[in-house]
Amino acid sequence: MQADNKLLKDLTPEIENTSYRWYAVFFIFLVFFAIGIYGLIQQIDKGHIVTGMRDNVVWGFYIVNFIFFMGLSYSGALISGVLHLFGTQWRKPIIRMAELITVISLVIGPFFIFFCIGRLDRLYFLFIYPRIQSPITWDVIAIMTDLVGCFIYLYLSFIEDFAILRDYADLNVPEWKKKLYRILSLGFTGTEKQLKILGNARTIMSAMIIAIAIIVYSVLAWIFGVTLQPGWHSTIFGPYFVIAAVYSGTGLLIILMWIFRKIYHLEEYITRRHFVNVGVLLTVIAAFYGYFTFSDYLTKWYGSIKMDSILIDKLFTEYYSLFIFANYIGILLPGIIIAFPKFRTIPNITVAAAIALLALWVNRYIIVIPTLETPFLPIQDTRPAWINYAPTWVEWALTIAGVSIFAMLFMLISKIAPIISISEMQEKDKEEILH
Amino acid sequence: MIEIKKTLPIRIILLSALFFTTLCGLAQEKEKITPTVTLQYLKNSEDQRILHAVLTYSKDRMEIPLQGFGISFFKGTGKELVTSVVTDSKGIATVEIGKDQKLASDSKGMWTFSSEFKGNDTIDACTAEVTVKDVILEVSLTGDSIRTVTLRAFSLENGKEVPAKGEVVKVGVPRMFSQLPIGEVTLDDSGSGSLEFPSDLPGDKDGNLTIIAKFEENPTFGNVEKINIVKWGIPSDYTKPTVHRALWTKVAPRWMIITLTILLSGVWGHYLYAVISLVRIRIDARKKEKEEHRL
Repeated sequence: MQADNKLLKDLTPEIENTSYRWYAVFFIFLVFFAIGIYGLIQQIDKGHIVTGMRDNVVWGFYIVNFIFFMGLSYSGALISGVLHLFGTQWRKPIIRMAELITVISLVIGPFFIFFCIGRLDRLYFLFIYPRIQSPITWDVIAIMTDLVGCFIYLYLSFIEDFAILRDYADLNVPEWKKKLYRILSLGFTGTEKQLKILGNARTIMSAMIIAIAIIVYSVLAWIFGVTLQPGWHSTIFGPYFVIAAVYSGTGLLIILMWIFRKIYHLEEYITRRHFVNVGVLLTVIAAFYGYFTFSDYLTKWYGSIKMDSILIDKLFTEYYSLFIFANYIGILLPGIIIAFPKFRTIPNITVAAAIALLALWVNRYIIVIPTLETPFLPIQDTRPAWINYAPTWVEWALTIAGVSIFAMLFMLISKIAPIISISEMQEKDKEEILH
Repeated sequence: MIEIKKTLPIRIILLSALFFTTLCGLAQEKEKITPTVTLQYLKNSEDQRILHAVLTYSKDRMEIPLQGFGISFFKGTGKELVTSVVTDSKGIATVEIGKDQKLASDSKGMWTFSSEFKGNDTIDACTAEVTVKDVILEVSLTGDSIRTVTLRAFSLENGKEVPAKGEVVKVGVPRMFSQLPIGEVTLDDSGSGSLEFPSDLPGDKDGNLTIIAKFEENPTFGNVEKINIVKWGIPSDYTKPTVHRALWTKVAPRWMIITLTILLSGVWGHYLYAVISLVRIRIDARKKEKEEHRL
C-alpha cells in the first residue's frame, strides 16, 4: 500500500529515530513511576494505614484518579467517535491522539481501583459471586466491554497505517518492527473491497464507542448517584459526569496536540485551526459543564436537606479555594481565553486547556472527599483524626506514577505507529484538513 | 605513619557503618506488647464447668486478639495445673473441667481458677484469676394459661443448702442474633423467685421455645445457666417464601437482567461484526496474495 512520499518523510522519523531527549524524558517518567511502585510496595507491605484513608474517608486520591482517567478515556472515545462519524475533515491530524487517550487512560484507570481495594486477594469474588444488581458489577462489565471495544476501534484505525509502513521501502526500522507491521496489517492492500469492509467496520465501531462511552461513564456516575450520601444522590450525575469527562478529555487533547506538535515538529499538520476548533469545542463544553454544576449545587442548596446544607457549607469554607478553582476559574477562564478571538493563540489555548484539565481533577476531588467527610450517620469508634482526609506521600507517588505511565505509554506507542494517521492525511484536499 | 594515613579512610567508613548499623538496630527494636488475659467461669446446663480465657492487647483503642499462644489453666490456690491450651484466631482458649475432677475450696467454700500467659521476647506475661462458689440453679416451668418460670438457687455448705438470697437471675429466649430478655428475678430469702412468661412469643414449627435462666457475671457464682425447652411458643412456619426479585435478594429484578442482556448483546454483537470484518480483510488479502503468486 503506497502513500504520499512527503507524508511518509514527515511522519515516520518519530518511528525511525529516537533522540537523547526522548530517552531523558522517558527516564524521568520512569523514575517517577519507580517511586510510585515503591509506594505501592509499602502499601502492600504495611496495609492502607500508609494512605490517608480511614473509616470515614474510605475513598481518596485513588478513586479520584480512577474517575479522572476513566473520564479521559470516555472523552477520547466520544471525541474521536463523533468526529469520525460526522466526517469532520479537520479531525484527521488529531483523531489518532484522541483514540490513544481512550485506550491508554482506560488501561491505567482501573489500576487505581486495585490500589484502593484493601483485600485485593478477594478481587476474583467479583467474578465468581457477581450480583447483577450491584453498580460495582455494572462497572466491571462496562469497563471490560469498553476496553475490548476501544482496542478494536483503535486497531481498525491503525490497520491502514500498518500496511503503509509495511510497504514503505525506505523505512529504516529494526526487523522486528517490520515483522510487527506485516502481522498487524493483516495483509491489507487497500483494494476497494477491503476499504469498504474497513470503512463500514470503523463507522459502526465509532457509533458504538460513542454509545458505550456515554453508558459506561454514566454507570460510573451511578456508583455515586445510587448511593444515599450527601452530594452524591443526584439524578443529574450521569450526564454531569459525561460532560465533565468530555471537558477534561478535550483539555488533554489540546495539551497533547501542543506537546507532539512541539516535539515531533508537526507544525505543518497540527495548525492553529485545529487548536481553535478544539478550543471552541472546549468552550462550548465548558458552558454545558458550568450549567450542570450550577444545576446540581442549586437544587441541593435550595432543598436545604440538613446534610446537603452541611456539605455545601463545607465546600464554601474548608474547600473554598478548591471549589472556586474547580467550578468558577476552571469553567470561566478557559471560556474567556477562547471566546475572544484576540486571545486565541496556540499557547493561550493550551494554557486554557491545562486549567480545564486541572480543574476537572479538583472537581472530582471535591465530589468524592467532602461527601465522605460528611456522613449521614455517625461512624462507630471514629476518631477526630479520621474525619478529615489528607493524602500521604504514597498516594501522591502513585498518582504521579499514573501520569508518568500515561506519558510513557504515549511515548512508546509513538515509536511504533505515527501519532498522526498517515492514511487519514492522504486526502487530496489538504486545504480542508489543515487550514 | 604512611600506613595509618592509607587505612584511615577505610577505618572511618567502617566505624561509620558500624555506628549507623547500631543506630538502625536500636531504632528497629520494637516495644514489647503488654497483653491482657481475661478469665471467665461458666457452669452450663449439663453442669459442666468451663473456663474461657481471652488473650488480647490494646492498639489504637482496639482489642487485638493474640493467636497461637499457650494459656495455662490452674485450679486451687496452690495453682495445680489443669492443662494448657493454644489460643485460636480470636485469642480464645477454652478448657472444660470435668464433673469428676475434684476441686478444693477455701474456708468460704470458694473455688479459685487462674490462667497464665508466660510471655516471650516480644510479649509480656500476664495472668488472670477468678474465684467462684458453686451454685445449683433449679428452674421449673408451670402453668397453662398463665405461664410461670419458678427459680431456686442455693449452694451447699457442709451438705447443707444455703439459699442464694438477693441474687439476680436473668431469664431470656435465644432469637436469631441474641437473647431476647424476658425478665430479671431477684431471689428472696429462701433463694426462690418467679416471673410470668409471655404467651405470644413465636416458637419453632411445633411451638417449642428455649428458655434460658442464668446468673450472668455474678461476683460470687460467675456464669451459671440452665436451659429448658418447652412448648410455650406460637407454632411458626419458617418455610422460605418464594424467591422475590429485588435489589437486595440473590435474584436480580427481571427488567434489569433483560435490559443488561439487550445492551450487552447489542454491543458485543457489533464487536463481533468488527472482528468478522477483520477476518474478511485477512481472507481477501490471502486470496490476493495467492493470485499474485499464481501470476
